[in-house]
Amino acid sequence: MKEYDVIIIGGGPAGLASAISAKDEGKDILLIEREVRLGGILKQCIHDGFGLLRFNEKLSGPEYAEKYIDIFNEKKIKALTLTFVTEIVKEENGFTVSVVNRDGVTNLHTKTVILATGCRERTARQIFIHGTRPSGIFTAGTAQAFVNIYGQKPTKKCIILGSGDIGLIMARRLTLEGAEVKGVYEAKPTPSGLTRNVHQCLNDYNIPLHLSHTVTRVFGNSRLTAVEVSRVDENMAPIKGTEQIIECDALILSVGLIPENELAETLGAKLNERTKGPVCDNLYMTSVDGLFSCGNALHVNDLVDYVSENAAEAGKAAANYIKSERKLLEFSVGENLLYIVPQSIELESDLSAVTVYFRSSGDFNGKKFTIKVNGDTVFEKKYAFLRPPEMEKLVIDMNKFNLNMNSRIEFSII
Amino acid sequence: MNIKKIQKRLNSSFDGKVTASYRDNSIVLEGELSSWDDIVKACYTAAKRYSKTHVVNDIKFTGAEIPKMRVPDFSDKSLEGSFWDVLIIGGGISGASIARELSKWELDVLLADKEPDLALQASGRNDGEIHPGVDLSKGSLKHRYVLLGNKMYESVCKELSVPFERRGQYVGFTQRWTFPFVVLYALKKKYIDDVTDTKIISRKNLIAAEGKINPNFKFALFNSSAACVCPYGITIAYAENAVSNGVKVSLGTAVTGMVVEDENIVSVSTNRGTIYPKLVINAAGVFSEDVAKMAGDRFFSIHPRKGTDSILDKKAGVLLNSIAAIKETALKRSHTKGGGVLHTVHGNLLIGPDALETYKKEDTATEPSSISKVFAKQKRTVPALTERDIITYFAGVRAPTFEEDFIIEAGRKTKNIIHCAGIQSPGLTCAPAIALDIEAKALEMLKKDGLVINENKSFNPIRKAIPALKEMAPKEREELIKKNPDYGVIVCRCEEISKGEILDALSSPISVPTVDGVKKRVRPGMGRCQGGFCMPLVIQIIADYLNIPMDEVKKSYDNSSVLFGDIKEKSKELL
Repeated sequence: MKEYDVIIIGGGPAGLASAISAKDEGKDILLIEREVRLGGILKQCIHDGFGLLRFNEKLSGPEYAEKYIDIFNEKKIKALTLTFVTEIVKEENGFTVSVVNRDGVTNLHTKTVILATGCRERTARQIFIHGTRPSGIFTAGTAQAFVNIYGQKPTKKCIILGSGDIGLIMARRLTLEGAEVKGVYEAKPTPSGLTRNVHQCLNDYNIPLHLSHTVTRVFGNSRLTAVEVSRVDENMAPIKGTEQIIECDALILSVGLIPENELAETLGAKLNERTKGPVCDNLYMTSVDGLFSCGNALHVNDLVDYVSENAAEAGKAAANYIKSERKLLEFSVGENLLYIVPQSIELESDLSAVTVYFRSSGDFNGKKFTIKVNGDTVFEKKYAFLRPPEMEKLVIDMNKFNLNMNSRIEFSII
Repeated sequence: MNIKKIQKRLNSSFDGKVTASYRDNSIVLEGELSSWDDIVKACYTAAKRYSKTHVVNDIKFTGAEIPKMRVPDFSDKSLEGSFWDVLIIGGGISGASIARELSKWELDVLLADKEPDLALQASGRNDGEIHPGVDLSKGSLKHRYVLLGNKMYESVCKELSVPFERRGQYVGFTQRWTFPFVVLYALKKKYIDDVTDTKIISRKNLIAAEGKINPNFKFALFNSSAACVCPYGITIAYAENAVSNGVKVSLGTAVTGMVVEDENIVSVSTNRGTIYPKLVINAAGVFSEDVAKMAGDRFFSIHPRKGTDSILDKKAGVLLNSIAAIKETALKRSHTKGGGVLHTVHGNLLIGPDALETYKKEDTATEPSSISKVFAKQKRTVPALTERDIITYFAGVRAPTFEEDFIIEAGRKTKNIIHCAGIQSPGLTCAPAIALDIEAKALEMLKKDGLVINENKSFNPIRKAIPALKEMAPKEREELIKKNPDYGVIVCRCEEISKGEILDALSSPISVPTVDGVKKRVRPGMGRCQGGFCMPLVIQIIADYLNIPMDEVKKSYDNSSVLFGDIKEKSKELL
């Protein structure tokens, strides 16, 4: 059986970045991608705005991916494409990864695995859309694949439910392709996507955004003919009597992303309730020794730049992984924080520059992100605005905190 | 009950608005009511459970317009002028199993269904339980056929290569005082009603078998013969085997009328031409009353009853290995066991169904209230169930008579028809046994008509299934991929379905080259992402296979194309 130091599952931005950094550590690595080509979901994100943080320029998704694919190829990193991982089994000294592809069934052995499997979209059924089951109900990502990869028009007249970024971007994209987007409906009282996308994708195209509204029913036996939208109350429950029927041929959903964590789960990795991804330490190692996670498989990032960044760290950590007793100090999540990643730190690791990503649990102005160790404030940073859709990142020197296994370290927004 | 008594009872509830009369050995109710529930109530008032004297509902419903039967939008002449020994109307489990049994004989058999695929109504919209019959008593056709059908399932599924699992059924009781009654009930079931596998099991043994079941269950009624099958899978399998043995299946074919002369069906009109069958088998589900009416043989009525089921992610499959339900009031007679939780052959959990009377025979739209009610109840069967694990839900409309029993008999007036009507739960369980009886009846009737019927010497009872590579041992899988590398290209990540399997579905005996047709046969899109990732790929594979543009690929029905064509069409026009 072929033996690797690192096997990376997923050839999107996270997989590519982690593969490159693992390779830089001089290790034997393999990347496995289920699609024909590398690049992941970036392949269909032909809008710009990628790479602002990382390359200081506005790139389209394919351009951003291409930058990494070029390096990946230059470094002659081995990749298996059109290859699907059917099973990962944890063993004494690593993992056996079973894959299928056109050549058959193969078992591969590796010391470490990086899960860079990205995320999937929540479906109409998961948000309890009721009524009939016609054609014309798409997740925004599927609609995007149809338009940008297949060159096919999924709708002539639609509404979009959910103001997540892909939904906003698809509102603009479909408009540019001649479809009528009758409105974007969002159950929450505030938009779910980035503010810049609300401006650039909706306002600039006069597409109305209806907050505190949801779709309560779909109609049509063959093709979708109409949807019913209703206003919702503060608990997001539809208010009787506010129903409105909108004629359209498609309902496009941008109602959230969920990390693809099935492989992590089958390996027994502990998941975080909030991120829906595995819990991890500052080295991006999950609760399973030797199993790493990064990018949107770990938690859904707003920007691909962050994905590449944490994936590169995960790649480096996986390449340098040596099995040893873990000394993990868990973080406490305090007030006003939706979540923080990582959820713990490895005390034996280099703590001079620990990257933390966090989201606030609500909209706040002028509050401070605060770290307390044993009740004493050791770090704070003031933010003019904090909003749940906008992820924040900090690099913190934790050596200064003099942490040990008995420390209590708490993060909050006050 | 005599008609005067019925009338008296009706009068007390409906104030003279409904009149009852005997006509041709049926109880005909007439009048006008604005509430459908009242109509159902009136008919129940007049009906006797399991009776062969049926209630015919001629009460005019003034509350709303009853939707007309949906028929295909297209028509052609592909069946015009054709002659058949047997026409089976309806491609559900009844029609498909009858077609297969008739294919043992040298007969020209046509199975027609108005839908674009088999099992698109009740047969594909139920929980797939093969019932033990523990809720049925001697004297009904349901009881007779459930015991026979249940026993036949292993061999049928083996012949047809359909996954089948005997997982057993637990009905849990939370109140200890009911114990003596349930013991008596179990004894009656076992020794009088011949449901021989009926057992009472203790709480301890129940918990040992199903660790996640409601710990407040004091004891349970257990039937080891209860089993699970994929209900549309078995229907398609039956029909495929029938086709392989010479039956013609014509989908998208709606029966719209009949010419009856001298109590004989002479011709049957469809959207694909007029056909001339010697014998008609009415397996039309919720429309079986309509078909009977066309044949001049309407002696029963169907009252549509809708049920909704939820399907949970395979992650939740660990919560229950079998079939389980809760019984809170001691053995009250009801139309179903009140829904339950079932571990499907694909590893998901299925929750439901409920039972709601409706005047809409094809109303398969789902309602949030159905899901929440069913969940609230079944959380008392398996407390760890959560709505968050729901990946999809569906509704189906059952086709009961007011007598709540099947109608398996030749026409009462019209001579060349056999009714297989009033089929509801446990119709799936009963189908293999019913099909044998209808086969015998059909042969008898055709022979009486002077037809000489020979055995179909080339009949092969074995259906080869499309390989399910995910279920295979690595070596076996490897060998198949070596033969056909498309088996190594995974298209549906959630269910691990390969391109090879999808192509197999497209070239299967009853190819339905739509997104749903492929999904029903090999499962891409059945998983947690519900086709988000694989739908474009599946559409592309279908388009390539048929050599048509992607925008001509349909989800299911005729007007259900998924796409509207090339995005650059407009700019092309400008060039």
